[in-house]
Parts: sequence; C-alpha cells; structure tokens
Amino acid sequence: MHDHGSSDGERHRDSNLNKVILIGNPNVGKSALFGLLTGKYVTVSNYPGTTVEVTYGNAVLNKVRTTVIDTPGVNSLVPMSEDEKVTRDILLTDRADVVVQVADTKNLRRGLVITLQLSEMGVPFILDLNMDDEAKSRGILIDQERLSRLLGIEVVKTVAIRRSGIDKLLKSIQQPRQSSIEVRYDDAIEGAIRDISSLFPEANISRRALALMILAGDESLKGWLHANMQDHVIADLENIRQTLQSKYNNSLGYLINQRRMKKADEILAQVLSLHESGKGSTIAFYLGKWSMHPVYGLPILLVVLYVVYQFVGVLGAGTAVNFLEKGVFGEYLNPWAIKIVHFLLPVPFLQEMLVGDYGLITMALTYSIAIVLPIVGFFFIAFSLLEDSGYLPRLAVMVNQVFKIMGLNGKAVLPMILGLGCDTMATLTTRILETKKERILVTLLLALAVPCSAQLGVILGLIAGLSGLATVIWLGTLLAVMLLVGFLAAKIIPGQPSDFVLELPPLRVPQLTNILVKTVARVQWYLKEAVPLFILGTFILFISHKVGALAYIQKMTDPIVVNFLGLPSRAAEAFVIGFLRRDYGAAGLFMLAKEGLLDPIQIVVSLTVMTLFVPCIANFFMMAKERGMKTALYMVAFIFPFAFGVGGAMNWILRTMKVAL
Amino acid sequence: MSEHKRLDAVEGKAGHPALCVLPEIEKEDELLEIMWTLREEGTLTHDQVLQSCSMEGCEAILKDLSKSGWLHVKGQAIELLPKGEKRARELVRRHRLSLRLFYDLFALDGAEAEACKFEHILSPEVTDSVCTLLGHPPNSPDGKPIPRGDCCAMFRQEMKPLVAPLADLMPGEQAKIVFITPGSHSRLDRLSAMGVVPGSIVKLHQKRPSYVIQLGETTIAVDKDITKEIFVKKV
Repeated sequence: MHDHGSSDGERHRDSNLNKVILIGNPNVGKSALFGLLTGKYVTVSNYPGTTVEVTYGNAVLNKVRTTVIDTPGVNSLVPMSEDEKVTRDILLTDRADVVVQVADTKNLRRGLVITLQLSEMGVPFILDLNMDDEAKSRGILIDQERLSRLLGIEVVKTVAIRRSGIDKLLKSIQQPRQSSIEVRYDDAIEGAIRDISSLFPEANISRRALALMILAGDESLKGWLHANMQDHVIADLENIRQTLQSKYNNSLGYLINQRRMKKADEILAQVLSLHESGKGSTIAFYLGKWSMHPVYGLPILLVVLYVVYQFVGVLGAGTAVNFLEKGVFGEYLNPWAIKIVHFLLPVPFLQEMLVGDYGLITMALTYSIAIVLPIVGFFFIAFSLLEDSGYLPRLAVMVNQVFKIMGLNGKAVLPMILGLGCDTMATLTTRILETKKERILVTLLLALAVPCSAQLGVILGLIAGLSGLATVIWLGTLLAVMLLVGFLAAKIIPGQPSDFVLELPPLRVPQLTNILVKTVARVQWYLKEAVPLFILGTFILFISHKVGALAYIQKMTDPIVVNFLGLPSRAAEAFVIGFLRRDYGAAGLFMLAKEGLLDPIQIVVSLTVMTLFVPCIANFFMMAKERGMKTALYMVAFIFPFAFGVGGAMNWILRTMKVAL
Repeated sequence: MSEHKRLDAVEGKAGHPALCVLPEIEKEDELLEIMWTLREEGTLTHDQVLQSCSMEGCEAILKDLSKSGWLHVKGQAIELLPKGEKRARELVRRHRLSLRLFYDLFALDGAEAEACKFEHILSPEVTDSVCTLLGHPPNSPDGKPIPRGDCCAMFRQEMKPLVAPLADLMPGEQAKIVFITPGSHSRLDRLSAMGVVPGSIVKLHQKRPSYVIQLGETTIAVDKDITKEIFVKKV
C-alpha cells in the first residue's frame, strides 16, 4: 500500500552513482530482487501490476555505490498502459550502467521478446532467469550457457525470494554487454527503419529501436518526440510510417511483434528442454482451477470472505481490540497517564488537552493504537496472504460480467480490492487500467463505496455485534450503490471500455517471511501516516470543543444528522473527523456505540453514511494528482450529498418498515 | 453449392495442370483481379490498371475484355460489368483462399506463387471445400477480405471445419492458433505481446464465468468476444 518507497525517490537520484535498472514482464519478481539488492522493502505480491511506479533505492553492490531502480512490469517496450509507459520512459531518459532483465524461467518465451527489444535498444544488460525452482518443478530446463552464447550477454539463474543465485547475479552485473542478437524484419520495414533512423537525435537508446517504436505506432512517444525534435521532422516520421502501414493490412505493431515472437521461438527451441516431472504442486493447481470454476468458484469466494471476516472482524476487532482497549489502555495506560499528567502538569487546560474527553492520549492514541491498529494489523495479514496466494486475479475472472455493468471489466477488481487495503494507494493503482474512462470510474467508486482496511475493520467490529441482517443491509446497500453509480457514470463519462485481458499467476503458497515483512511495512506506514493525523484531528476537536465551535457545528448539522439521519447529535463529531481519516470517523462511531448511544438502526445508517462519505484527505490529494483537481472536486461534490441522501433514505425505510436488527 | 455453371472462358480448366491453360485467359484473369484489388483500395482508374499490370499487351487484353462485355471503359472510368464482377469475385476468392491454405495449413514459404497457380484451376466445388476446411476464413493472411461464397452462408456447425474460432472449443481442448482477425489493432498488439500469435498452442480452460486460456506457462483470462476472433486448428 503506502509502502512504495518512491515518494522520497528523487533524493536518491545522484548522477554520480552507478545505475542499475530492473526490467521485465509483470509478476516475474523484480520487486523481490529489488528488495534483496537494496534492503529496502517494496510491495511484493503474486499478481501482475503490484508495482505501478518507479522505485529508487541505494545499495553498495560489488563495493560500488549504486542506485537500483525497480520498474512496473511490461509485456512490450511499446507501452499499452500508463504503468508500462513509465518503464519505457525510464530507459529513454535515464542512462543505465546496467539493465537487469528479470524473466520468469518457466515463461521464457515472453521474456525473450523483451530481451530482443533491449538488444535493439543497444543498452548494456544481463538476463536473470528468476523463479528457476518453479520451472524445474514443471520439468522446464533452460540451457543457460547456450542462451548466454546465443544472446552474447551474461545469463544467470536465481530464486529471488530465497536469495539463491544472488552472488552470481552480482558478479555478472559487473559485466553488462550489448546483446549481439538481432531481429531482421522484412525488406519494406527495414527500409523504413533506415529512412527514419537518420532523423533521430542522439538518445539513450539506439535509433533503430526508436524507429521501430515509431513504426509500431507508439503514441506515448509523442511527448519525447516533441521535446527532442522539430515539428516538420515529426511529420516526416509519421508520413513514412503511414506509407509503410498502407502496404499491410495488419498493424505494423503486430507484424513487428510477430517477428520478434518468431525469433524468440527460434532461440527457445535451442535452449529449452522438457522433462517429465512431479508436476509441481497439484493441490495449488486444482485450487487455482476451482477458484474460478462457474459452480465451485462462488462457495470458495464465500469461504474466503468468511475466513477474512472471522479473522479481522471477530479475532482482530473483537478479541484483540477488547484486550488493548479495555485491558491495556482502559485498565492501565489511561489511568496511569491521567495520574501522571495531573501530577506533573497542574494546568487544567493542558490536562484536558492530554487526557480529557478529547485528549491526545485518551482519545487520539486510544483510537489509533487500541482500536484501529489491531484491526488494520489483522487485516494487513489477511490481505497479504490473499495477495501472495494469487487468488485476487482469479476473483477478476469471477466478477468480470458484473463489472461489465459498470462499464469496467474484471481487471478493475484489482484496484477495487486494493482499495479495501487503502483507497489512496488503490487510486494510484488505477494506472494498470487501459482507458481514461475506466480510470475515472474506478477512482470514483473507490472514493464512494470501497471502505479502506482501517475503516472496514472498525465497521466489522461494530457490525459483528448486530444480527447478520445488519451486515447484509450494509453490504447490500454498498454493492447496490456501487452498481447503480457505476452503471450511470459509465453512461455519462465518455470513452470506451477496454478488452478484458488479464494474466493469471499460478496459485502459490505464501511465503511466511514476505507476509511478515509486508505486514510490518504496512503497519509502519500506518503508524507514520495515520497516527499523526489522528493526533491532529483530536487537537482540532479539542480546540473546537474549547471555543464552542463543536457545539455550534452540532447545532448546525442537527437538521441533517438528527432529523434526517435519525442519529444522536454527537455523531456529527465522527463525521467531522471523518474528513481527516475515514477510519477515525468510524472509530468515533465505534465509541458512541460502546457507550450505548446508538441503537442498531442508527449503527447501520451511520456506518453506511461513513462508508460512502467523502474520501480522506490523503485519498483526495491522490485523486487530484492522478485525475486532476477539477475531476476530484466534482467527485467530492457528488459524493457528499449523495452519502447523506442514501443514509436518510435508509433511515426512513428501516424505521417505516420497523426492521429489527 | 449453387455455383455449378462454370464461366465460359474458364470452362474445362478444372483438373488440368496449369500448363494446359491458355495464357490469354490467365492474363484476363490477372487483369480482372487487378481491377478488383484496386477497387478495394479505392484507386480504380483506367491508367492505374495499366500501371499495376506487369504483363505484356495489357491494353489489348483490356480492349478484348471490354469488347466481350466483361467490363466497361469510359475515359478514366472503368468498371466491372455483372459477368466480369462475378468472375473477378470468384478469382479473388480462390486466390485468397489458396493463400490461406498454403500459408496456414501447409506453412509453405512460396504460398503466394502457389496461390497464383491454384486460383485458375480450382473448381467451385473444390473452392467451397477448401473454404469449409479452413473454417470459412474472413481474411487472407495479408489481411485482405476473402469474398464470401455460398458455402459461407450455409456454414456454421453443419460441416465440422478444421479451423474454428477458439470460442467453439470445449473446455480442456488444445489447439494451434492459425490466424487472428482482431476487432482492433490495439487488441492484436496486446494479445501478441502475451504470446497469442499464429503458431502458438493454446488450451481452453473454461468458458464461464469468463474465458480462460493457457499458452505454455501463461494463463490469461479474456472476453468471449476475443476468443471468437482467434481461429485455431485442433491438435
């Protein structure tokens, strides 16, 4: 989630350092290798598209200070989505001392297509055959020496998550070479390459590679072209491309790709041998199959949801929170803190600020550490397990048809599920979607109807105390809202939906160490990012309370909160702090309910409003960054009244029908 | 198969080796094909026809064809008359189907040259059989449309074609990709980047709730629409 180290990346970009760029197909283990080389943790998961931004990290490799750059996975260096463009651009703009191409050994054919493109670019590189263990267990053997001779570069085998082969990798990083392998295209294409090449300025990658990108119709190169070349030359390029294209009925991009694929097959035929073997883990194979089966898929999904609910909602939000909140904080820490503060600071104002009703210790720390932390901690563990198992992309297969209603396809389930972790990060992940329309739709739905882990945990904790019907009503309302808003928004927002083409990684047994490291990284992120906001929010509440603004806000919002939503006046507090962080708002409701101030209908209504409510500040800024301020403001302007409207309608319906929860 | 009546000029060619055919007739065929192709590209003019014609005596043949009612020339304007239209259509159909046959099924390098011979000698019955065998392909390997025949209209599951859309496979079946007729260029680019190209072996895992296909160690979930555009031959 927020644990991508890229935000502070700029600082690390020291031009004097040796530069290593990691490149490869999606889900081949680039981030795992990055973590290994730099000791810096970036999210490693078992699904394509975990990394959507470039991440920089420093390390001392072979006694040389080096900047290592992790990139989003690509299937071709002619990009088709925003995350792929990021990778191509880094090759274009950063001169690498070494490019390390990471390939999935069992899927070398697709890796070689990238190899051929790197060769065309003329960059110095080495090839890392990763996941060698999985290939072996499937009976796939690659003749590494032969491949190395054919390509004219160093080739090493590794299993990054087990550190195996890293020494050899480090050694070969010292000997990067340009590959000697070359793909010849047909005469007309070669002719056009010659014509175009002479027009390019000196660049980090070869003119031949640039020419092929242009011929393949790479729209995303436009920015670079305009920055580096004159308009009339660009027009010439386009003319040559169109003349050439008119000779073929298939797109040039396809023809070029097909040629590369053929060359990859030729190479593969010389280095690949297949052996009968134990077929690897058959249980994983069948589970993977059943998890997207039209009949068994659904019960499996329900079991997964139930287990997560038990783990996070009951064990985390129930047992763990009780222990921390009632036990550790209620019995010991808070009473001690009150005593100590009263003894050390004989100033009533400061006493109240630290340990009063809106005290920084009694409220901010209690909320963030005793209530939200155990819940998000348990959620992070459950979520990491799901991520690493490879189940999430299979979910996309199950929901593809439903997502079509919302103008999306199954691929959009990835950012949506990530939203259950953190909406802010998920908004960034919408980059894996291909069209602008899809990115806007998912950003809106994330902000509106997908509760983040912290919020979800608190909600689960609250709702677990009610009947199952309450959960069904809350969840049903959310899903209905999502479908309806998605359906309507898809009609309004212009643009085309894209094809559903999603790669499914094999199901894997999650690695305990990765789960632990990932959970710790996320908890650290939570503590660093969320706790200060909790403290700030509490401070604002405290000041508002002191100057009487809180009472004023409550009076102002009473018509909506009390009359329309049927909630107690104090619920306004929760909504106010919900602006800062939605989980903080939910935690406020949690406390109200604990004090017995909310009846079941009030709980369901307030939770629904809180879930639909405007995104937290961090998410809002991410929306503005990714989609533009105007779009972000439009979304908030829609979400705010809409959330209260739904809550009001719900209150009215439940009261009128006298639903017992 | 309604097309039992052979065209006068081509009568009796079927079954004979290409050498027996009168060269004039082949030249006529060639000219008619050129006209058809130019018309597809939207550049059909009298001069353009002569320019595209690499044979000797094109102008004379053109005049002959015009005289015997195959086509009509008026200044730069040139058009196929109904009987010329029919003959050209069938020639182009035979040519492009042959191309598919040699290119996809036999994987011959000189597919173009072979197709040029075949187009003159295939009888309507054989043409339709080839068409059926190939699964009534809509395009030739170079992407140009193949004029549809009567068999294509009758088609669908009646005769088991050798080449069928991936969508028609049963779950668990394996096949080789023969050709792809994508709805859009970007779709083709994306698929090919994942290894979905002619020649690849593909296995259909399941059809519901979404189509899942496997190529080597790559498993991909795709829309049904896409699998309708991938034509495969069972292996």
